[in-house]
Amino acid sequence: MHSALKSLVASPKTFFQLPPRGLNRSTVQKTFQVPHTPIKQFSLDNGLRIVLNEDHSVPVVSVAVYYDVGSRNEREGRTGFAHLFEHMMFQGSENVPKAAHFQYISNAGGTMNGTTSSERTNYFETLPASQLPLALWLESDRMRSLAVTQENLDNQREAVKEEKRLRYDNQPYVNGFLRLFEMSFKNPANSHSTIGSMEDLDAATVEDIQEFFRIYYAPNNAVLAVAGDIDETETLALIEKYFATIPRQPEPPPVDVAEPPGVAVNQDAYLDRLAPVPAFALGWKIPERRSPEFYALSLASHLLFEGESARLYQKLVKGEESVVQMQGGIDERRGPSGLFIVVIPKPDREGAQIRDATFEEIRQLATSGPSEEEMEKLRNNLFNASVRSRQSSLYRAQQLAEFALYDRDPELFNTDLQTYLEVTAEQIRDAVAQYLDTEDRVLLDIVPAPQEAAPAAPQEPGEPRQPTSPLPQIPAPPDEAPAGAPIPTASQPVIESN
Amino acid sequence: MMQTETFRREMPPPLAPRPLNLPESVETTLANGLTLALIEDKRLPLINFRLAFRSGDANDPAELPGLSDMMSHLLTEGTTTRTSRQIAEEIERLGATLSVGSSSDFTTIAASGLSVYANEILELVADVTLHATFPQNEVDLARENTQQMLIQQRAQPTFLASERMAQVMFGAHPYSRISPTSEMLDALTRDHLLSFRDAAFLPNNAVMIAVGDFENNSIVAGIEQLFSEWKPADVSTPAFASPPDRNSRVAYVIDRPGSAQSNIVIANHGITRTNPDYFPLLLMHTILGANASSRLFMNLREEKGYTYGAYSNLDARRLAGTFRATAEVRTAVTGASLREFFYELNRIRDEAVSNQEIANAKSYLTGVFPIRIETQDGLIDQLVSIKMFDLPDDFLKTYRDQVNAVTTEDIQRVAQTYVQPDRATLVVVGDAAEITEQIKPYSETIEFYDTEGNQKAVGSRQ
Repeated sequence: MHSALKSLVASPKTFFQLPPRGLNRSTVQKTFQVPHTPIKQFSLDNGLRIVLNEDHSVPVVSVAVYYDVGSRNEREGRTGFAHLFEHMMFQGSENVPKAAHFQYISNAGGTMNGTTSSERTNYFETLPASQLPLALWLESDRMRSLAVTQENLDNQREAVKEEKRLRYDNQPYVNGFLRLFEMSFKNPANSHSTIGSMEDLDAATVEDIQEFFRIYYAPNNAVLAVAGDIDETETLALIEKYFATIPRQPEPPPVDVAEPPGVAVNQDAYLDRLAPVPAFALGWKIPERRSPEFYALSLASHLLFEGESARLYQKLVKGEESVVQMQGGIDERRGPSGLFIVVIPKPDREGAQIRDATFEEIRQLATSGPSEEEMEKLRNNLFNASVRSRQSSLYRAQQLAEFALYDRDPELFNTDLQTYLEVTAEQIRDAVAQYLDTEDRVLLDIVPAPQEAAPAAPQEPGEPRQPTSPLPQIPAPPDEAPAGAPIPTASQPVIESN
Repeated sequence: MMQTETFRREMPPPLAPRPLNLPESVETTLANGLTLALIEDKRLPLINFRLAFRSGDANDPAELPGLSDMMSHLLTEGTTTRTSRQIAEEIERLGATLSVGSSSDFTTIAASGLSVYANEILELVADVTLHATFPQNEVDLARENTQQMLIQQRAQPTFLASERMAQVMFGAHPYSRISPTSEMLDALTRDHLLSFRDAAFLPNNAVMIAVGDFENNSIVAGIEQLFSEWKPADVSTPAFASPPDRNSRVAYVIDRPGSAQSNIVIANHGITRTNPDYFPLLLMHTILGANASSRLFMNLREEKGYTYGAYSNLDARRLAGTFRATAEVRTAVTGASLREFFYELNRIRDEAVSNQEIANAKSYLTGVFPIRIETQDGLIDQLVSIKMFDLPDDFLKTYRDQVNAVTTEDIQRVAQTYVQPDRATLVVVGDAAEITEQIKPYSETIEFYDTEGNQKAVGSRQ
């Protein structure tokens, strides 16, 4: 019945045993079992990869389509194209009128969004389970027949420019972060921002956009993941119906994200017209995602700056009381990646002293490594995050699509945890010594600039508020009340949804 | 381009509907008056706790705005047996989370983690609830850092808009204050924190909600044991001033020279959370501006390209509420955006919504309902709202029926009652020199403020 479908993977069942807890605790050792998420992988003859996760706990289905195109695929003079294109994907196709995508999903009781990062562009919707055909119809129609018109391009160019003004140009600190990427990376594919520049956005023509669609929005350059209250046979039949006749395209040109060793620029200052107080950012270039060093550094970053028990929080915010706020994050990429720390010092404190204290804490970790208590903290956090996140069908669909796209192995959804758990204290220590305890790093001072002295428009262009978070198609509706004073964050990519 | 296959021409019909099994909560009340609401959810080995108190920012004394917020923040900064650092290390070593948050109407101690650590997590919740000491050094540190946050939040246009909006709409009512002040921080003492905590944190003023992989009996026994020393007392109910009447349209411009955008907020008085008009207003809000297929978004973004997003906001709290329309637009189209906002606000009043629109809105609200309760966090947040806003126990069960019962006439009635463009409060944060002339056609009266919140004579650049 599914002649074009080939089952690729049979899912083994995996269990984990919680390792013994620290000796200084009286609590009895507890065993722990991470539930296994059933995953099936298929592909169509046109090259579309398909991942299914059947889970009947809530009558909801999430569909995620990931295209292998992001700002890493953009060349100079064409920055911001992947993201601008993401907006075009909501502007109609042969059988779906302009802007009707929002309407169809909302009117069926669903939510949706699309986001763009350096690595990929994704589109996703969560719907009542009975509305799965609607999601497949909409996603297939725009994959096969997007309507790229001058009118749509002009309108969405304006929406993107407003997004840039809202999230970058009208915010303190955010534009400064572009410098951090430019200072870290030497390869233009890595160093430019996902939002791009106003000039390049203005220069985009309908022909450029049509060419972009032909090259990158092909079934053989995409993954479709469906997770939730589905029936496998029924779902496969629907997928074949809607996607099997979309023609394969030539493979896109290869991407070169290779980096020469060393950061591009060690130190710089950015004048920020909107910043009320000074801040500084530190950045390091680290190896690509899923490398042994990346796993180790990801855990090291948790110990350094995640949560109030983190080393840097305890040292700077609490112990020395020299810092008002600090945040860090990892920019996870398939090529050279980044690790960042952003600090807002107290008014009377010297940035240089705080940086020395930061480097000293990093050296400590590079010398002595994590304690047994810290290793236990990492293990429990890995278990909790792994179990908690998989409650959401959207999270499952997105992660499955990402592992299928980047690694051609969605089963990593279940097995990646084990790789993290096997990282040793010595590996964390050594990775910190090699990649963080080094002079080969970036320091950016963000300096409040007098309003009169600064140009009317901020320096071009900027990284997002969360420098590594993908840009969403739809902003979140306003909250009931504003949060407290936000710090520009450098956290791990956050998928925003409406 | 290939020929269209016939089946692609029309939106496909849905599959057979699948049933939603709504989890039922089991409730019990302890001898000291603490209500427990428990839902066993065995799907995954997780647990979530929310200890919610019917006391929030609205309970702040007038001279100490932000007291509830500071008390909440400091609750995890030291107890009789644990330092701030020990609390952070113990909870994070379990891979769990513990946080305290204060909103207008209630305060929540939230904790979650792996269910194997349920007892350890619950013990920490009890410790910060009953034994927080507010150490002087932590109070001083929080004071200093919050002073810095007050400076930083003035760089955020959304804060400036919300601050002015709250002050204008709520006047002497406590909802008018959305942040601590510098004067409050200078005056804040340990004794303020202790007495505020003691008045608010009473078992008969709280609900403990638990969702997760546990047995009801054992979790009840655990809570009973940990909270047995907690004594009830009379809960004081402060008298709140009424929000001021708004009888004409007034614009408030917060001058932010060089601003790349104008933040627009248009507000009217709304309803309390238990007002019977809640569901008709929810439907109206869905049609007008709740999401990316609502009228405001389709007009200001999709048709005009003025903004990245335009929305309405149904803010219904325990004591009062507002109905608002908002967008951040580029400076040059501030006036044009106001024209579209008022066009849409008048249209929802003057014309009945179409049958298709009301059907779509009902489908949206009933469809996203199960998505909201897909996770334990989503489900427990719903239970917190039900308990803290005194919603009916069958709120979740009847939610979809309540949505489906709303008529076109109901929507027009509430639109004409609550959407009052002639009495709207219009707040715009932007470059006054660029936007004042654009705003004048939409408001005879304009007041100007600087980003420090001080009124200015004129909107010109200095």
